[in-house]
Amino acid sequence: KLFHFGPCRVSMSVTEIRSGFTAIKANIQARDPIRTLSILSHPHSLHKVKLLDRCCITHHLFNFYVDKVFKHCKTEDSYINRKISSIANSFLSVKRKLGQCYEQNKCLCGQESKEKFKQILANYEGLNVTSAAIKSLGELDILLDWIEKSP
Amino acid sequence: SGELYCSLPNPRNVHFESVNMKNVLHWSAPEGTGDGVLYKVKYSVYGVGKWIRKPECRNINRTWCDLSNETSDYEEQYYASVKAFLNGMCSDWTETTRFNPLTDTKIDPPMVSVSSTEKSISIFLTAPEKWKRSPEEESVSLLQVYPGLQYNVSVLNKKTKKRWWFSVSNNTLVVPWLEPGTTYCVSAQIHVPTPLLHSGFSKEYCIATLKDK
Amino acid sequence: DALLPAPQNISILSTNMKHFLTWSPVIVRGETVRYSVEFQGEYEREYANESWIPICECSLITATVCNITEDISATVAYNLRVRADVGARRSEWGTLKGFFNRITTSLTPPLMKVIADGYHLLVELEDMGPAFQFFVLYWKKGQESRMQQTVVKEVSSVVHLDTMEAGPDYCVKAQAYVEAINRSSSFSQTQCVRAQGGTSMWLV
Repeated sequence: KLFHFGPCRVSMSVTEIRSGFTAIKANIQARDPIRTLSILSHPHSLHKVKLLDRCCITHHLFNFYVDKVFKHCKTEDSYINRKISSIANSFLSVKRKLGQCYEQNKCLCGQESKEKFKQILANYEGLNVTSAAIKSLGELDILLDWIEKSP
Repeated sequence: SGELYCSLPNPRNVHFESVNMKNVLHWSAPEGTGDGVLYKVKYSVYGVGKWIRKPECRNINRTWCDLSNETSDYEEQYYASVKAFLNGMCSDWTETTRFNPLTDTKIDPPMVSVSSTEKSISIFLTAPEKWKRSPEEESVSLLQVYPGLQYNVSVLNKKTKKRWWFSVSNNTLVVPWLEPGTTYCVSAQIHVPTPLLHSGFSKEYCIATLKDK
Repeated sequence: DALLPAPQNISILSTNMKHFLTWSPVIVRGETVRYSVEFQGEYEREYANESWIPICECSLITATVCNITEDISATVAYNLRVRADVGARRSEWGTLKGFFNRITTSLTPPLMKVIADGYHLLVELEDMGPAFQFFVLYWKKGQESRMQQTVVKEVSSVVHLDTMEAGPDYCVKAQAYVEAINRSSSFSQTQCVRAQGGTSMWLV
């Protein structure tokens, strides 16, 4: 399906990513005991991101997941690891496409999106790396819900 | 009041049952307890640092609590928790898994109405509405919540027993060039491609095309 | 003990988004040889220290084929490898030559049956799996320039295409489309029918 993030248009099979996430959601979220902190949705909700900032935030979020999150999510469960690999490789594929558009300076980062993403990193760094990675992985539906809401 | 002695077994199977985003918390009584168990309920918005008590579900003896009002923002996710009390003893708080109203709700079948002429039938489809606080509140169709919502419509010719399938996005379907004086039965289902959600099929609505003049 | 040779002739059979890894058997007289398969996506190569992931359904199996469809679920380049075990003896890994990307899967045209039911043009399509949609083209015979297209996403059963006028033949052809790799199959053979109960006739 083709998604429009500001000037960037990216084809992405969200259905496949969602099906991979749905298969591991209960398991991964059960490994995250911290109810009072979210990486993506508080204090700034993704749903409040302005249209102009969507491209930059999406670009940074896919980089964030590929560069920082997935590698710290290895579990003792082979089935879960295989599903994480499938999601990670799908994210890598999208990251590449978004990266190309970003390099062509079409994906501008306003001050607000920089602030938002800085907050997301602060939330992430506020936890030990494994807890932060598992929490971020468990919030994938927050990211997908927001991506799919794109006009 | 000081916390009681919490050795009562926990409530079991604490979970949300959600239909059209009417989100009701359900649970089963602690193992081995008969009548007389009372419960209290709290909930929290995921990522926000506090649990909020639900006054209307304090010291209740039923095993459900409607949290639709508290969980109506489907851009948030939620936890809820239940504690049981019996004869001066209490249980621990027992939580749900993380609840995402957008992906975890079930959708009712669409409402279907049909009319016919001599050689055609017209099918009118209406997606269910999202739960709302009161009848006066403005209605929100699930079509607005799930923009990719589609209808799978089945039309059965009762004479030939043949069934046809249609997949439509808008809410009206006209099937022309039918046989006069024939009964057709229509049933419809909602399909949301992503997040992947299906409703059940509606009841079958049968209507006859008018007889040839 | 002689070193157990690594499996050879490792190759991929991929049709309609179903992917199978196959290899030649390792022959050890009087022994049962078992095989284990692992995969590595581009992510693992570039971000996870070139780690490999075992496929437990193909762990210590005696068959020389493994269904890797579930794990090849992104459109990136994958590495695959197999090794053999006999008792305590274990071979080196045999690795697929080159990468495999599902974008290279071969797509076959869908099986299709066209039905005329009164004045109604209907089509029944083969269920090729969740990754598939279908582009169905139909036109009045002789009016190829006024071809119409319908996208069929869910193959439940007999799908209604359109109504037909009495008299002319209506022709239909379909191709499978996979959104995840943005590729289509070639078209199925054209089938033409006529309103008022004309059954499906093979006309090319």
